[in-house]
Amino acid sequence: MKIEVSRRKFLQGSVALSVVGGASFGVTSLIAEEEEQGELSITTKTGTGKAKLVPTLCEMCVNKCAAIARVENGVVTKLDPNPMFPKSKNMLCPRGNAGIQALYDPDRLKSPMIRIGEKGEGKFKKVTWDEAYNAILNGTDKFPGMAKILDEEQDNRSSFLFCAGEGMAEHTFKTFYGAFGSANWLNHSSICLQTVSAAYNLTLGAYPGADLGNATYVIMAGANRAEAIVTPDTMSIFKKTKGRGTKLVCIDPRFTNTAAKADEWLPINPGTDLAFVLALTYVTLKEELYNKEYVEANFNDFEAYKNHIISHNYTPEWAEKITSIPAKEIYKIAREFMQNAPKAIYYPGRRSTFGANDFQLRRATAIFQALGGGIDAKGGLVFGKKLDLGTHEGISPLYFQASSRALEETKKGEHAKDSIAIIGDGGSWIAWRNRFLENRMPYKVRGMFVYKHNPMMNMPNTNKTAQMMKKMELTVVIDTMPSDTVMYADVVLPECTYLERTDPVNTFAGVEPSIAQRNKVIEPMYDSKPVMEILRGLTQKISKPLFDITKKYDMDVQDSLTKLTTTAVSEDTNSTNIASSDSNATMSTAPKSEEDIFAEFDISLPFKESQEKINEQMVLEFYGEEAVKALKEHGVFYPNMKQFFKQISANEYQYYPEKERAYTVNGGAPKTTSGKVECNLVFLAEKGIDAMPTWKNEYLFKVPKGKFRMLTGRHAQYTQTGTANNAILHDLMPSNYVWINKRVAKDMGIEFGDEVEVSSTTGKTTIKAYPTEQVAPNVVFFIHGFGQESKELTWAYKNGGRDNAVITDNVEPVYGAAAMHETNVEIRKV
Amino acid sequence: MANYAMVLNYKNCINCKACEVACKEENGILLGAEKHRIWVGSMNPEGEWPFLSIASATFLPSQCQQCENAPCQDVCPTQATYYDKNGVVQVDSEKCILCSYCMVACPYDARYVDDRTMTIDKCTFCSDTRLARGETTTACQATCPTKVRTFGDLDDPNSEVSQILRTKEHFTLKPHIGTKPKLFYII
Repeated sequence: MKIEVSRRKFLQGSVALSVVGGASFGVTSLIAEEEEQGELSITTKTGTGKAKLVPTLCEMCVNKCAAIARVENGVVTKLDPNPMFPKSKNMLCPRGNAGIQALYDPDRLKSPMIRIGEKGEGKFKKVTWDEAYNAILNGTDKFPGMAKILDEEQDNRSSFLFCAGEGMAEHTFKTFYGAFGSANWLNHSSICLQTVSAAYNLTLGAYPGADLGNATYVIMAGANRAEAIVTPDTMSIFKKTKGRGTKLVCIDPRFTNTAAKADEWLPINPGTDLAFVLALTYVTLKEELYNKEYVEANFNDFEAYKNHIISHNYTPEWAEKITSIPAKEIYKIAREFMQNAPKAIYYPGRRSTFGANDFQLRRATAIFQALGGGIDAKGGLVFGKKLDLGTHEGISPLYFQASSRALEETKKGEHAKDSIAIIGDGGSWIAWRNRFLENRMPYKVRGMFVYKHNPMMNMPNTNKTAQMMKKMELTVVIDTMPSDTVMYADVVLPECTYLERTDPVNTFAGVEPSIAQRNKVIEPMYDSKPVMEILRGLTQKISKPLFDITKKYDMDVQDSLTKLTTTAVSEDTNSTNIASSDSNATMSTAPKSEEDIFAEFDISLPFKESQEKINEQMVLEFYGEEAVKALKEHGVFYPNMKQFFKQISANEYQYYPEKERAYTVNGGAPKTTSGKVECNLVFLAEKGIDAMPTWKNEYLFKVPKGKFRMLTGRHAQYTQTGTANNAILHDLMPSNYVWINKRVAKDMGIEFGDEVEVSSTTGKTTIKAYPTEQVAPNVVFFIHGFGQESKELTWAYKNGGRDNAVITDNVEPVYGAAAMHETNVEIRKV
Repeated sequence: MANYAMVLNYKNCINCKACEVACKEENGILLGAEKHRIWVGSMNPEGEWPFLSIASATFLPSQCQQCENAPCQDVCPTQATYYDKNGVVQVDSEKCILCSYCMVACPYDARYVDDRTMTIDKCTFCSDTRLARGETTTACQATCPTKVRTFGDLDDPNSEVSQILRTKEHFTLKPHIGTKPKLFYII
């Protein structure tokens, strides 16, 4: 295999590789009958001649930093930071720079494919787009089509599940989900921000930003901004730590790069942060350090909360035993925090759920923050301003036969072991999957659509996800790369990368709000397409045949059709006039023909226009031509940008003058419906959830002798699983390593680079060891995203350890988010 | 004519390695961990868990120090290594015979072999890419999330580098060997 040869050569670092652009790339062996050709593109030196510069937004992680792509002779030679975007200021991280290798990844999905082997085997046949759409609708000898499934399920649209990863075009895919009419939507949120976002929303009325640039005291607990980069937070904080204006206290079970850049680092027992925050709150209340005026004006049930904390005796001495953080440090931190408040921040963080108490931890943190008054205030947590955008209407037909979602919330008074109190918008992936496998669904779900999402890698307990993927009768995956999830697809639709498409224009709220747009840099390579065009083609193919099924089972549609025949429509209605703008009008008047009724069910309507055109419409009505022009030329727009935007020094820019910045937008009050900080959520108690954050002994950190608590996390050079096959990032860190305490490793005879097996009751994985003092003797850690099983990934295949093979699929009880840090593992040298 | 130098506010560095990737992309550096013009040196914290020293855990971004007295230039038998008009140490790939004396002589380990041009290459402050196009920053400076680097002309008293060096305490690497580096680290 030629690519293998090339790879080995450059790993040895001894042989020159050709440095060329996209045109010479061959295909990989994903499709059996194709031959490989061309060589790996690595880097292309920028030139001094003619170049096209296109403003775009990065998609190498979730941040959407602004970049300017340099195109020379049709080849993207460089991605530079776009200094005009207030969110990312003037930076691109290593992954942002490595977007070129994502574009020119030789392993990319290059054409539509349908499965010819067994599920999960990864054997596909290359087909045309029309053949792929046809296979989705009508199936092949290997899998049933959508028409058959929907017919058998009597038009129950919820017999299809829709899953999406994060991204600007998630909106486009969700529009398809809405039009299709299913109630089963699962996205990344239950392995992402679900509990933190919900807890802040229920407590403060919003998941706020943090004005780190103006804070003088910051507690960062379980957040690693030096490695899990978030813009603008990462850029704001680290220029000011180390005695340069902001005191940063890092609380983490590991000594991270954030710990290295902090003023103080306090290691904590995993999963016990709640006890730490409760003790900070205890000191604050007991010593009356809180902002009395603020509390008086902005708290609901303050006295109840105060009594709750004091009566439970959440003292620093109590917390020391649970967290391992010395009581005197807890006293000091509470006092220093409140002295610095409101310019003090207990950083809300942006990460997955740690454990069962995560929702309560985030609630306790939000309330502690509010006690200092640093809400909607400069140097504190900020809500910021959001610039309006027009809307792009989807359609949501009412399907009589569509069931409501398959995963149900806990009913009042019923607290089953794995029940979930609230089903959020993104759902609970694990709970849904497990109930599906255990045949505990109220009806049959038989097919799934997956967009830019890799559940095979991302969901704890890989085995169960594989079983789920095998059990699904029809799986359609839209992606750029032949991921582990793609291997389980029946139909694969290749999306182009972010550099080859224009995505929905987006508004970015904050102290310095703006609107930004990802502009297409080059035309899509190979036979790939933007998701907008993929869905246009697909819906045009399936819309009418699916309506025919609806006619067969949908009583409402049948009623309407009957009325048509009884009123004996004689006039010949011209159906070609039905466009998106007319459909609402048609709905309000009595339908004259079947075409009129179909118009309500024509799911291709939202995808008719180009993304560029839709984006124009979305900004025109609010900001006029100026905005349309700015978004094309600069990628960024906000009112008065021309007047406000200035270069201050070689590295720094002004976006808004100080007096125009939206530090305070709500008079300092929380944004809850009551306008108050909600200490006591009584409605949760009815579902068996603590109304106020309460410590329980089941949260104690316990690891049996000889075992380790396994932690996972992120890294500055890798984004989850999405970048694991990136050639240049691979160069910076060729694999993941398991951190194990140096002295423990020595006792076990484990040295740096030794292969070890990490195993739990869920499964096992093999990984190289990294003995270090930066982790506690009973804790191990490795970063997420490695150990992929797709053979089509040159760099990622079987490279490193796979965390989700080992992590047990526990969920927390409020939203059903995956509790990632509750698994104890064994380590064995192999 | 200029006298180019760089100031590094190294305490800002979070070891994300954006600079390393930007350099490779801009200058078409080959892949491979050994092939790099710039790098971030990192020190693991001293001590045993949980008593680890934050002070010892530092990140030190580095690259060719653009020495005023460059040992690599002294030892080059073919004059392949030379100073350009802006005081930047350059390599003429036509003259380089891969003898690797410069690699040995460089006290900062800033030289590497470029297998494609068969040259012992080095950082040139993006002379033939960005500076040649009239840009005023290097790739490593422009991309940096925490803005470690500032590039500029030491001969211009109004340049940012001159101003920073007049107001901030700084040091150079291995000053005792007399190489007179033009990379300055702010304390």
